[in-house]
Amino acid sequence: MPPSPSALEGLVVPYLQRQPWFLVDMARYDRAVWATFRLADLEIVLDGRPGMASVVVAVGERRFHVLVGWREAALAPAVIGDHQGAVLGMCDDGLGDVLCYNALADEELSRGLLAVASAGRESARRVRLVQSLVSHASLVYDERLFMKSYRVLEPAPRPEIELMSKLDEVGFKHLLRPVAHWERNGWDLALVREFIPSAVEGRLLALTSLRDLLGRNVDEGRLRLDEVGGAGGDLSSEMRRLGEVTGGLHLALAEAFGVRSLAAGEASTAVAIRVHGDYHLRRVFRTDTGWVVAGFGDDPLIGRSADELKRREPRFASPLEDLADLSYSLRQMAAEAVAAQPSVTCAQAERLAKSWERRNRGAFLSGYLGVEGIDALMKLDRSAAAEAIKSLVGARAVTAT
Amino acid sequence: MASSSRPGLDDVRWYERAVFYELLPRGFFDSNADGIGDFAGLREKLEYLQWLGVDCVWLLPFYPSPLCDGGYDISDFLTVAPELGGIDDLAAVVEDAHRRGIRIISDLVMNHTSDEHPWFIESRSSRDNDKADWYVWADDDRGFAEVRVIFCDVEPSNWTFDPRRQQYYWHRFFHQQPDLNYENPEVADAMLGVVRFWLDLGIDGFRLDAVPYLYKAEGTLCENLPATHKLLRRIRAEIDAAYPNRILLAEVNQWPDVVTEYFGDGDECHMCFNFPLMPRMFMAVRREQRFPITEILTQTPPIPDGCQWGIFLRNHDELTLEMVTDEERDYMYSEYAHDPRMRRNLGIRRRLAPLVDNDRRVAELLYGLLLSLPGSPVLYYGDELLMGDNIYLGDRDAVRTPMQWSPDRNAGFSRADFAQLYLPPLMDPVHGYQAVNVEAEQRDPSSFLHWMRRMLAVRHQYPQLATGSLEVLPADNPSVLAYVRQARAGENLAGEPSAVLCVSNLSRFAQPAELSLGRWEGCTPIELSGRVPFPPVTPGSYSVTLASHGFYWFELVER
Repeated sequence: MPPSPSALEGLVVPYLQRQPWFLVDMARYDRAVWATFRLADLEIVLDGRPGMASVVVAVGERRFHVLVGWREAALAPAVIGDHQGAVLGMCDDGLGDVLCYNALADEELSRGLLAVASAGRESARRVRLVQSLVSHASLVYDERLFMKSYRVLEPAPRPEIELMSKLDEVGFKHLLRPVAHWERNGWDLALVREFIPSAVEGRLLALTSLRDLLGRNVDEGRLRLDEVGGAGGDLSSEMRRLGEVTGGLHLALAEAFGVRSLAAGEASTAVAIRVHGDYHLRRVFRTDTGWVVAGFGDDPLIGRSADELKRREPRFASPLEDLADLSYSLRQMAAEAVAAQPSVTCAQAERLAKSWERRNRGAFLSGYLGVEGIDALMKLDRSAAAEAIKSLVGARAVTAT
Repeated sequence: MASSSRPGLDDVRWYERAVFYELLPRGFFDSNADGIGDFAGLREKLEYLQWLGVDCVWLLPFYPSPLCDGGYDISDFLTVAPELGGIDDLAAVVEDAHRRGIRIISDLVMNHTSDEHPWFIESRSSRDNDKADWYVWADDDRGFAEVRVIFCDVEPSNWTFDPRRQQYYWHRFFHQQPDLNYENPEVADAMLGVVRFWLDLGIDGFRLDAVPYLYKAEGTLCENLPATHKLLRRIRAEIDAAYPNRILLAEVNQWPDVVTEYFGDGDECHMCFNFPLMPRMFMAVRREQRFPITEILTQTPPIPDGCQWGIFLRNHDELTLEMVTDEERDYMYSEYAHDPRMRRNLGIRRRLAPLVDNDRRVAELLYGLLLSLPGSPVLYYGDELLMGDNIYLGDRDAVRTPMQWSPDRNAGFSRADFAQLYLPPLMDPVHGYQAVNVEAEQRDPSSFLHWMRRMLAVRHQYPQLATGSLEVLPADNPSVLAYVRQARAGENLAGEPSAVLCVSNLSRFAQPAELSLGRWEGCTPIELSGRVPFPPVTPGSYSVTLASHGFYWFELVER
């Protein structure tokens, strides 16, 4: 017999109020909503000892998800080990006292969660908790599958899940393929997708390239700006490939969600597509077989300007928006690398980094425009597209500062 | 420590673990002071090769030849070029080498002969002589129209008109190298006779030159045709029946999935060169990231049991001529030719040292990769000294200068007058023989030569580096390449653990890496060169820090 709903609610609410991720999310709301805590939904997903419940708490219009695990009080501490913050408290499951805690601190229960989220289709021998963000916690199973267990819920379909499933349906290959998602009563609770261990964030490749460029500048004396392409760590061929993948992504998005005409005033391209909306070098990964797109916005919610958050909302817009996002992210990488340089070399490093950014932005666009059929989405010629992106990137920079 | 596992002479699968050494007989050592290296000279230097740890010497062509194509234009298959000595001298080299546990393989050019070969002289003399159709003749030059020209910068066509016979003959390489016509069974029989002749002499196998082009067929690219594979199977069957322990090593400059066809079902070639891997090792170091290497490894299909890759960093050939015109190679150039420095280097015949700006750390890293990636390593003579090249000789000879033995006259290579030498030795201030030579490096325990010798010894101790399976490990840092070579079942030396972990920093800056070593939890990594134990593998990721261009090989020992 599992603990009663009221017992669980009594433990979950104070637990939730202690969680930084919850407090961060709630900081955006009036304190009055705090009075509206209520148990919105509860499912015992694993009965017995150990057991697990999926508990959804409503606070105003917001929904928060906590996975509660329990074991005999004497055994639980050994299982959760160092995760002291995971403890919710004691309750009675009808057979005696059990200790309740965040189920993700328990490997056995975390493995059980995979079976739950995939409706029994997947199982794993090993699991590790990799990240806890505001919106979700991430787990990796057998270095093969990746689960986002959502904490801050959104009504189904969550844009990320919708995008990944539709892209998969239309056969877009450069994707960390969705494997399963877990939905209950109209709310998405978890997403399981493919995990590629060798994948490296695009951001790291960009920084590797910049490191080589700026290092060479120090080793070999001042490099001329036109020597940027000659630096060993040149990224442009990779960026061209990423441009090709991005073109494929846009064509797939257009196929999956259709094409609309642009709102007046956005006449630079002829059509609007469902854009990725949060496309930057942390969202793309280089694997041993090429680039893949992963993550379609969900984290971190904090530290984003209102403008950024608005851009991330599912919407139709010019494909230039995504291109500008990625290009802006090249600029951010360049700035990050320059900031790490000793101040004596900064001025020249800055010039080189600008040249690097220009070169890679160009290569990215060339790859994109070279994709067969992309002219159906992008009516601009290369120079007009480059100008449009440059001006969008300029606008981002102003907003960011 | 593991005991040495150098392949013995009775080991039928010796080539899977052997270290190969490619040398130019005319450039190695001159015993008779005529300015040209010879077999008697090579015999004197076998002791050095044994000391270094070489298991097999690959001899570049030593046949009589007008030398239009570095000896690959052979005018007599059944003897030795007179300036290199006689057949007896070669036989003595083979015998002495075997005594030292070293095997000898030779180049065999089956696709074509020199236009001075008696077969061709007879064939071109009329349209109805005995050898009239030993070569590919036609009344016009319109046949095989889709076939690319390999030496496109010097040969306008694969057809050349012969004024005597008033017909065109077919050649895939220089026009002085007419292609043999294997449609005529007498040609294949004659070539099998050549194979038997050298195997009877004791030669341990052949490096098969230009093997994809043997058979031609209208409407095809005249490459990799089924009949070519059939002929290779015939030669292999002959070897297996009458000459066990001998090998065929194919030069097939194509993508790995095409190359693997030359292994057949283990019934064609014993070995094939892995061409695409080589430039990608350089690119990975230039780009300071592992993807050029891991990408080609993922595209390399498994090969049949009893087969092995031949891998190399540099050899006597350049890449461009073959790579650039091969449409499947174009991929690589479209990907990587954006780096003018790489393009320049790949297009020129250069030795390893100049290619890496004489940076010893980079050279060590590249050899660290070569000696630990799947395949048998093939060293190019002189590269163990970090010898340089002489680009002013023209790119054909730039990397064929005399072996540098000592700081004496003519690099200790020859007692002939300087002007008599087949090529001048290097005398530049960086790579010149006064500083870079065997004698000096043997005296200096920290020389590159000693480093190489130690590394070969380590490799011989760990057969998993030669024949083990390969598993690339994920690493968070793109500049770090980590993989595990795991012995296959039945290959463990008695009581020895079975996995070697190789971690390389492709960057010129020091790098940290977090490796995922979950499967070896509890094992202690022991660094192979110094047997220093590192902290044991614990749950979670394993941290390694690497110096600039540094690499480690660890044995993963269960404790």
